[in-house]
Amino acid sequence: MSGQAASTEYGLLAEFQTPEHLYQACEKVRDAGFSHWDAHSPFPIHGLDKAMGLKKSPVSLFVLVLGLSGATIGMLMQWWVATKAYPLVISGKPLFSWPAFIPIAFECGILGGAVGALLGFLSQARLPRPHHALFNASRLERVTDDAFFISIETADPNFDRESTAQLLKDLGATHVEAVAA
Amino acid sequence: MHHEPITVPTASVTLPEGNSWGRLSRISAVVGVVALLATFALYFKDGHTFFPSYLVAFLFWLSIALGGLIFVLIQYATRAGWSVAVRRLAEHVMGTLPVFGLLFLPLLLGIHDLYHWSHHEAVEADRLLEHKSAFLNSFGFSTRSVVYLVIWSLLAWWFRRQSIAQDQSKDPQVTRRLQARSAPAILVFALTVTFASFDWIMSLDPHWYSTVFGVYLFAGCFLAIHAVLALLCLRLQNQKLLAGVVSFEHYHDLGKMLFAMVVFWAYIGFSQYMLIWYANIPEETAFFQERLTHGWKGITVALVLGHFVLPFLFLLLRGVKRRRATLRFAALWLLAVHWLDLYWLVMPPLNHDGPHFSFADVTAFVGIGGLFLAVLATLMQKSALVPIGDPRLTESLSFENV
Amino acid sequence: MQAVADIDPVEGRPALIAGDPDFHSITETVAAPMEWTPPRGWYIALGVSLLMLSMLGVSIGWLFWEGVGIWGNNQPVAWGWPIVNFVFWVGIGHAGTLISAVLFLFRQKWRTSINRTAEAMTIFAVMCALIFPGIHIGRPWLPYWMMPVPNSMDMWPQFRSPLMWDVFAVSIYGTVSLLFWYLGLIPDLATMRDRAKTKVRRIAYGVFSMGWRGSQRQWHHYEKAYLLLAGLATPLVLSVHSVVSFDFATSQLPGWHTTIFPPYFVAGAIFSGIAMVVTLMVICRVLFKLESIVNLLHFDRMAKLLLVTGSIVGYAYSIEFFIAWYSGNPYEGFTFLNRAFGPYAWAYWIMVSCNVITPQIFWFKKARTNMTILFIASIFINIGMWFERFVIVVTSLHRDFLPSSWGYFRPTFWDIATFVGSFGLFFTMFCLFVRFLPMVAMAEVKGVLPEAHGRPPEPETDMPAIDVSATETAQVAGTARVP
Repeated sequence: MSGQAASTEYGLLAEFQTPEHLYQACEKVRDAGFSHWDAHSPFPIHGLDKAMGLKKSPVSLFVLVLGLSGATIGMLMQWWVATKAYPLVISGKPLFSWPAFIPIAFECGILGGAVGALLGFLSQARLPRPHHALFNASRLERVTDDAFFISIETADPNFDRESTAQLLKDLGATHVEAVAA
Repeated sequence: MHHEPITVPTASVTLPEGNSWGRLSRISAVVGVVALLATFALYFKDGHTFFPSYLVAFLFWLSIALGGLIFVLIQYATRAGWSVAVRRLAEHVMGTLPVFGLLFLPLLLGIHDLYHWSHHEAVEADRLLEHKSAFLNSFGFSTRSVVYLVIWSLLAWWFRRQSIAQDQSKDPQVTRRLQARSAPAILVFALTVTFASFDWIMSLDPHWYSTVFGVYLFAGCFLAIHAVLALLCLRLQNQKLLAGVVSFEHYHDLGKMLFAMVVFWAYIGFSQYMLIWYANIPEETAFFQERLTHGWKGITVALVLGHFVLPFLFLLLRGVKRRRATLRFAALWLLAVHWLDLYWLVMPPLNHDGPHFSFADVTAFVGIGGLFLAVLATLMQKSALVPIGDPRLTESLSFENV
Repeated sequence: MQAVADIDPVEGRPALIAGDPDFHSITETVAAPMEWTPPRGWYIALGVSLLMLSMLGVSIGWLFWEGVGIWGNNQPVAWGWPIVNFVFWVGIGHAGTLISAVLFLFRQKWRTSINRTAEAMTIFAVMCALIFPGIHIGRPWLPYWMMPVPNSMDMWPQFRSPLMWDVFAVSIYGTVSLLFWYLGLIPDLATMRDRAKTKVRRIAYGVFSMGWRGSQRQWHHYEKAYLLLAGLATPLVLSVHSVVSFDFATSQLPGWHTTIFPPYFVAGAIFSGIAMVVTLMVICRVLFKLESIVNLLHFDRMAKLLLVTGSIVGYAYSIEFFIAWYSGNPYEGFTFLNRAFGPYAWAYWIMVSCNVITPQIFWFKKARTNMTILFIASIFINIGMWFERFVIVVTSLHRDFLPSSWGYFRPTFWDIATFVGSFGLFFTMFCLFVRFLPMVAMAEVKGVLPEAHGRPPEPETDMPAIDVSATETAQVAGTARVP
């Protein structure tokens, strides 16, 4: 951490004019070796994750694990109920009538996968998070409307109040401001 | 951003002089004719095994050609952009349909060997067959079969010819006309394929019936064409063709469609099985009873695993659909199990006590396949490998998967 | 694919969003209905809906007091309107999932203008649907018997019954639809939070947007989760109406037991649901001035979907009829002849004319882009699809195997009141939705504008990329956007 960055500061927030400007700036910030930084936009910009150098999202793993568990639990539950807990012969079918148990096992698998997608997203995106230092910058309110930003944290080892601000300006930022922590 | 014409190298969209496809065409034709002659010779040795083997082979190769037809019709009807780069190959595949009109003729001689309902004494002894004889009779069967094959051939011929003419004219009007005709053509296709599946396969067991049977056969056709398109593209690209035209994005889409059709096939197959199993009505369960006893149970289990479980898990992975070796393996595998599926549909009513290997299985497969390949390779020489006049080709060249 | 708003080389495909909107104007257009004083039409709609909703309340209250005898259900038609309405409402919901999930997987970007409303419709339709089996069970204080919960009687549900599959399928469908809808809403709720003028609004939208700040590190996971949910919702939507069809098709009853039921029900469900989306959208776009976002292009596409699904339904009707004869089963044959020419022939022909004949008008582009025709046709289709379920349920039951057990089903006043009341619930929810939640997915619509692109990513593969630098070239017709 660079010495002069006050601990009461979260970092810098730079505004860019268009998605294309943002995209090009992200590539440069990535190449400058920053790690504690982020881009902000009103909608997902195709390819920006690669421009930022983000790793593959692990949400699919959540879906796979919870989805398979859901289907397995669904099938086991029906097996246990039908053969152990309450064995009852219905319309001459075997106690473990697997074809009849597939629909519910399938639905449980889908439920598990869907819950997995939501949990995966929330845990990876670190939500819910009612407050965040960036909300101190009233300018950022427009990110949910039509504005594009890059934020770089003071916590980044490469962060330097002056040179980082200059870098962002050089990349075409129309406005750079410090954000209180 | 600005507009710029995209260009592709001419050499990559046409087969060069003296290419290996010409040789392939000649070799397959020879091999096909020899194998077919051998198959016919086997008829005199053992007439009983000839027709079933021939029917399975006929249906397998026909299902690919039909898949080509419905693929093309659907792409036009949905005004699809992504598929334009591979559509011409499907048009060549469907161009083989008229050949199946000829290849069908031997089956007309085999009606008595294949179809129980064609025997007068059987009909007289069976009230149900008597009832159905208005539909299931040799004359009706032959007439309808000819009608199906003529309709398919005409559709394929017309759509392919129009599309090739567009290569030169580059007239968007052609696309508009084909789009307009494709929707009613799909209706005709749906009805003819449904009734063909009833006539040729379902009536092998004339007591059995299932309303979803046509959809089941369609799922197989649609699966097969995507596998064949992937294989054709891979082959052509190994020969340095289609460079700059077919990209991994197209392979990815073909792979996704393969995955979707694996799931769709399983959905239709399971629905049919579960409903029949559940209601447990003897005249319906006979179909599965037959396929779950004797030697057939093994094939049924193999089909569930090979046609659904394994390819489902394999194609679930993104990398599999974007890499040559894995996609080629998946496509070949799926074609193999699609053949098994047809074998499983046709054979049990004719061989109650389990699968019997016969040489005719192989020779008929090679024979019809040889002729199919010969015609396909010939057609591929006759025009560009890509609809270079299609106004949407640029869209197909530049799309990207999410 | 960059060429979203490109002019299609064949048809001059119009831009997805009419006019020349920028990101901000989309926010303004979509947020307006939540920030204005609502138009008088909204108050009238809400008033009428609440009135109908109270009718539902009274009907259910009377039902609980008096019992299911107040309905027309009786032998031989023991399954009357409640199951008809249940299937009708579940079906309506399916279009929402088709538009939000299936079209997403097929890269149909025009869906972004209508998916939010369609998904909302799904959720409200499932709510309406769940009422009917809930109140139909006779002892409405015991619905937990359908859940696998330990109880003092040591009894467990009977999972071989398709009705149990229904419980799981429909409730999971409702849950997953809600998750999907909510995930899509998060960025838009954040927009509303940031625009909020009052503290109450700020807190309410703030809580539900969970601290969203449009960060790429969030979008990254968000997009993945959205894609995966779409991938899960697609087989789910196929399975739900298939399971509903199993309620009928696992039986041995002629007219119910037929293997084409699962795909046929799914197609019919989507058919009816799209018709409902059309009905609602024709009204809403005018009432809330969304004409630029929901434009003729969207109606044209929806009308085509109606034509496709309507034709699939027509295919199923024909194949069923043919196989009823082909099977040689006299009961099967009788049931179908009875449908077409028996005492309920009127219902059958309403069904055929509404579902098979009406959508044929959409072969014509004029009809696909004419609001009056669309509105009227969509109402006809809604009616037809309700009658389809009526025909399936009632005609297969009303003439039992023995002529001594034949009867003629007539609905009672309370049947009608409950059904009309369920529309009250649906429209009340819908009115509240358009007032308090963004009815167009702003973030998604902004993402399909032509200026929304950064740059395409580098491919990860061993396959050759497109090489356009070759020397000998053939010009391809048309032009493409190159960044």
